[in-house]
Amino acid sequence: MDFDDTPDEAAYRARVRATLEEHDAELLHVRPGEPTDARLREAELRATQRVLADAGLVGVTWPREHGGQGGTLVQQAIVAQELARARVPTLVNHIGIGMCGPTVIAHGSDDQRSRYLTRLLRADDVWCQLFSEPASGSDLAALRTSAVRDGEDWVVNGQKVWTTLAHVADLGILLTRTDPTRPKHAGLTMFVVDMHAPGVTVRPLRQMTGGADFNEVFFDDVRIPDGERLGEPGEGWRVALTTLMNERVAIGGAGSDIGQSAEALAAHARDRLPALGADQQALARQAVGRALVAALASRYTGYRRFTALSKGGVPGPEASAGKLGGTAAARLVSDAGVRLLGDEAVLGATADGDETWQRAQAYVPGIAIAGGTDQVLRNILGERVLGLPPEPRTDKTAPFSR
Amino acid sequence: MDFDLSDDQRDAAAGARAFFTGSVSTAAARAALEGTAAPAPGREALADIGFLGITVPESAGGAGGSVLDLAVVAEQAGAVLAAPSLVTAARAAVLLESAPDLAAQLADGSTAIAVLDGPVTGSAPSIDAADATLFLGLDGGTLVAGEGVVVPGRPLDATRGLASVRLTTRRVLAEDAGERWARARAVGAVVLAAEDLGAADRAVQLGVAYAKEREAFGRLIGSYQAVKHMLVDAWVGVEQLRSLVWWAAWAADAAPADAAPAELPLAAAAAKAYAAEALERAAETLVQVHGGIGFTWEHDAHLYWRRAKVDRLLLGDAGEHHDTVARLAVAGALG
Repeated sequence: MDFDDTPDEAAYRARVRATLEEHDAELLHVRPGEPTDARLREAELRATQRVLADAGLVGVTWPREHGGQGGTLVQQAIVAQELARARVPTLVNHIGIGMCGPTVIAHGSDDQRSRYLTRLLRADDVWCQLFSEPASGSDLAALRTSAVRDGEDWVVNGQKVWTTLAHVADLGILLTRTDPTRPKHAGLTMFVVDMHAPGVTVRPLRQMTGGADFNEVFFDDVRIPDGERLGEPGEGWRVALTTLMNERVAIGGAGSDIGQSAEALAAHARDRLPALGADQQALARQAVGRALVAALASRYTGYRRFTALSKGGVPGPEASAGKLGGTAAARLVSDAGVRLLGDEAVLGATADGDETWQRAQAYVPGIAIAGGTDQVLRNILGERVLGLPPEPRTDKTAPFSR
Repeated sequence: MDFDLSDDQRDAAAGARAFFTGSVSTAAARAALEGTAAPAPGREALADIGFLGITVPESAGGAGGSVLDLAVVAEQAGAVLAAPSLVTAARAAVLLESAPDLAAQLADGSTAIAVLDGPVTGSAPSIDAADATLFLGLDGGTLVAGEGVVVPGRPLDATRGLASVRLTTRRVLAEDAGERWARARAVGAVVLAAEDLGAADRAVQLGVAYAKEREAFGRLIGSYQAVKHMLVDAWVGVEQLRSLVWWAAWAADAAPADAAPAELPLAAAAAKAYAAEALERAAETLVQVHGGIGFTWEHDAHLYWRRAKVDRLLLGDAGEHHDTVARLAVAGALG
């Protein structure tokens, strides 16, 4: 057990740090906790990713034949840490790198791989993931967006929702129903869709925080060539599972903080504790300590999972525990952060206009839903890790159209 | 980074599991509670297999091992509610750094040693004091060893051997020992959290096993989300506790040499605070999943529940440790 870099890891970190310093002037930088709105800063975000990609810092774990670096998960984590240290915001194409790209690698044709993957890494194309629908959230396989074969094309109609980055995306992976006469999981097919195609309409979706990080996407007679299919017709569920497994690792699976970090809360407590009365200080310290313990427990559990992955383990259902623990920690951290504001906790921002903790608080309900609700994750863990029996289901074998 | 046990530590854990499951049963914990037998496996057996001297230097007859080595054994001890506690061995080994004669007696089990919490003129209920003959305590800032008058109360968990002690003799082991005392208490908290980890893990396993065999309303109760989710939450708590225990044990081993003296106090407080609540939730879940049978004297569930209700308050409760974590973090301990 050793929390320090090995000599190889330290050398790699030094190279990454030197590369970032060399390109510093070409990269977008943000303050800690500052949101980066792709609506407002799209060009800078794309340019930043392009610089990083050309420097070999994007797609670290991707195979070399697909434009990646053929590196390890540890190297990937080191790059992420150094980007955070240099205050470079999350890569604009993070959905593409984490989820869409690996799905194309696993299920795409050689033609699709050669056309898409290098451009994805350089943010020449930004990608989104078109899965959830108004009537299929947790029950994703209940989706209704249809794709009907017409000559060499498929014609798509329907609506997707909660689509991150759709407003700036050039391409997306789209899960559709192609055979409603088959059981729900068996009638699905995955495509790559051109987000600029006629009939694609993207509308911002304003969430309870007041911001609009997501979108609704409408498909009206959108034509997709058959060559843009990912996997065989009817194999869409299996293809989607590739995406979802990568998503679980991307969200809280390997020790990354969800929401505000433990360090940010500690710094906030240092600033705000002295302004509280003695009794309130004691109570606030309890809340801060409890939140920090939860955040550290979640972080170190991620480190353990990360060690297992870096020794050759495959992402399994245990990763769901990382998101569950991370969400619980985010709830406690944001709550402690708000309580430290004293009387200002009941307002939407502090007197000097800072809304960091109010915003963190308002995000928590979304965190507990996105990428698998707490309840769905508990079902997954209960059934696939603890081996408890599933609830009886009537929807798995009947034709979807019934 | 490598946040995992070594192969040697995994082997040690497997060996410890075999020893504890072979020498201790929950029947022993129940018999101790009823006053019909001593807790198992007892001091001599723990000394014979070398567990009391894991962190005692080789020069004093111990194994010269790390706190992490001890923690992986303590987890297995906790799973079967073994007694006496390895917390005492861990803490005394730190306190006896300058008293190799006593450290040797700790390791070979020839003297029953306990560490007193609170004033030596009348201590708080202290782990394994009920059967001890030599007591270590902090008198002002002075570390002392002595004999004393032992007053056990009625046990809530008889495997903890709790008793209050008034020292009647005193031998000075070290002056200005406040820092060493605090480090020993932190190491003790780590090992207590490790024993709680084992107990909580076992409690979840027992609950899961029952949920897979008990039927109600025509199906196995583990298929109901209300039951399933309760068990999952307890299991997630166990997994997260394991991470904090390993981190804290690593910090205990790294602390003397490395330039991060604040990491052990932070990590030990985090582990102990989390352990208190994780074991309590696991034990309460164990009782609840069993329903009526889980509330009976004859069922084992209450033995884990008793351990949880006692351990959560020993060596500082969750509130005290949450406060410590917050104070240290505000002072910069997170880096």
